[in-house]
Amino acid sequence: MAVPSVLLLTDRNFTRKQNTRLEKQNDLGWKLFGKVPLKETSQKDPKRIHKEYEEKTGRAHKPISPKQNVRKNLDFEPLSTTALILEDRPANLPAKPAEEAQKHRQQYEEMVVQAKKRELKEAQRRKKQLEERCRLEENIGNAVLIWNNEILPNWETMCCSRKVRELWWQGIPPSVRGRVWSLAIGNELNITHELYDICLARAKEKWRSLSTGSSEVECEDAGFSAADKEASLELIKLDISRTFPNLCIFQQGGPYHDTLHSILGAYTCYRPDVGYVQGMSFIAAVLILNLDTADAFIAFSNLLNKPCQMAFFRVDHGLMLIYFAAFEVFFEENLPKLFAHFKKNNVTPDIYLIDWIFTLYSKSLPLDLACRIWDVFCRDGEEFLFRTALGILKLYEDILTKMDFIHIAQFLTKLPEDLPSEEFFTSIAAIQMQSRNKKWAQVLVALQKDNREVERGSPSLKH
Amino acid sequence: MAGSEAGKGNGGFRIILLGDSTVGKSSLLRCYTEGSFIPAPCPTVGVEFYSKMMDLPPGIKVKLQLWDTAGQERFRCITRSFYRNAVGVLLVFDMTNRKSFEHITEWYHEVASIQLMEKVVFLLIGHKSDLKSDCKVSTEEAEGLAASLGMGFIETSAKNNTNVDLAFQTLTNTIYEALKNKEIDLQEGWDGVKVIHKKNCNPQKKKRKTQEKCLC
Repeated sequence: MAVPSVLLLTDRNFTRKQNTRLEKQNDLGWKLFGKVPLKETSQKDPKRIHKEYEEKTGRAHKPISPKQNVRKNLDFEPLSTTALILEDRPANLPAKPAEEAQKHRQQYEEMVVQAKKRELKEAQRRKKQLEERCRLEENIGNAVLIWNNEILPNWETMCCSRKVRELWWQGIPPSVRGRVWSLAIGNELNITHELYDICLARAKEKWRSLSTGSSEVECEDAGFSAADKEASLELIKLDISRTFPNLCIFQQGGPYHDTLHSILGAYTCYRPDVGYVQGMSFIAAVLILNLDTADAFIAFSNLLNKPCQMAFFRVDHGLMLIYFAAFEVFFEENLPKLFAHFKKNNVTPDIYLIDWIFTLYSKSLPLDLACRIWDVFCRDGEEFLFRTALGILKLYEDILTKMDFIHIAQFLTKLPEDLPSEEFFTSIAAIQMQSRNKKWAQVLVALQKDNREVERGSPSLKH
Repeated sequence: MAGSEAGKGNGGFRIILLGDSTVGKSSLLRCYTEGSFIPAPCPTVGVEFYSKMMDLPPGIKVKLQLWDTAGQERFRCITRSFYRNAVGVLLVFDMTNRKSFEHITEWYHEVASIQLMEKVVFLLIGHKSDLKSDCKVSTEEAEGLAASLGMGFIETSAKNNTNVDLAFQTLTNTIYEALKNKEIDLQEGWDGVKVIHKKNCNPQKKKRKTQEKCLC
């Protein structure tokens, strides 16, 4: 008999509806606590609350700038509401004894206090989150100013300074990202916008001759059969709509479909010896999202011309194995326990590295994170790609050491979508790209030298 | 590791899917393991993995380790190193793409030239059977090729989920039969088939033995 007839409602949507309905008909004798105001707003006058309520329900049609909106949210949050109801016994039953009623009231009040406390805590958490977001936005705003006014005009002198490097690590603001990437990647190949136009015109010619079925395909690209080229051009077409399918912008009829097609087509004419290789469409797509078409082409060609990318996209298997071997040197150095576990389970680096390196993480990481990886890759070069791989392994070291082959392979080729970005970058930062006083490039050169000697036939050096 | 797996099943088969780009290897696997179909999935770069448990008739559970490979010809020298450890191969072509069918013999010889095992079990898959009107390869022709290469043939569709389970069941059963008849030779250090003996499972002992061998 001692159960107080108290109803605790915490479902947000439900209580919200209740709340609005109850405001209209206040004569039910229910007690209702809702929208616990934050400390600094607890003395708000009812008029202001009413005004805000109107704004929220859209009754007032004043346009609100996004900035105001954020501020308002800070002041007054649409919190989950808690309704707590204390009812007397129905009239047809005997009334509660005074003592019991007193006890129930007391229990009821305690519950209310608890609920309020919980709500307040939740409100504070949300407020903190919002403040964090505002702070982040402000930081990005400041960073844009620094990049635009200080760094970009003095690129040559400033790009290697400590301050810039640090700012760079934080992530380049999206509005200047394309320009910084372009500058950092450079244009060693001296590609001009005109060259892009010429390559594109040639590609278009080839598409036309292919679609009309004429066999007069130019034979300037000796060594590559017309059939192979045809397959390559065909494959580009098929792969474009399979590039970031979730974004829905590269698909047939999408705004960037033709741009992506053009860049990839132009590249096969510019470098027929490399041609189109799956994975390229992702790199081109990320560049298109940050740069104008011709500049994206220039960055794309120069990026693929870097030694690591050339080795992979020309599928120089011998050289790829050297890259994997170098990676393993740093893997063992940084994560010896996991390295041993992988060895025991026959998890070789080609299983997970191929996709990561070919697409520069754009297929395997969320796009915003992939862009941050690209930021630092543009700063530090190929070694950062391998450092990132080790960062991923470090981040998930504990779970990976408990997995067997197939689970490791599945996990690494399909990374969790909710990869925590800050922890991830902390993991990467903790990876030392130094092995016995040797840096990445030195290890790579040493391995290449060893390999050449092995090829020349000195079996003593093998393994 | 083997000990913990013993509770779950009696072994594992490694199966690899090969065939030209865009014939639908990934879709076939996604349909089989997740029961879903996405019209244009991302192209596979390198290799991707799926796994599923399968019940074989006499109360035996087998864990299928499914390797999905990149189809572009350029990647062949990379994927080649993956064939070696497979016991089953699904050779997949697109029924609406004549070329992908013509390349099947090449894919077959690729594996045959690399695979060191006595026997690998193959199965030919004619995929996208839902697109009947666009068919560029007849069932008879595909069956003829399969027979000449000594393997079975099944038409599948991931879009309609037609024969997908059947394909994997057929392949797994054939592997199992071959194992029972000792047609497949089990070698140490080969990952194509993992047999877990329920009673006496002591991998450490085994290891020590091989180490001793090395010392001799």
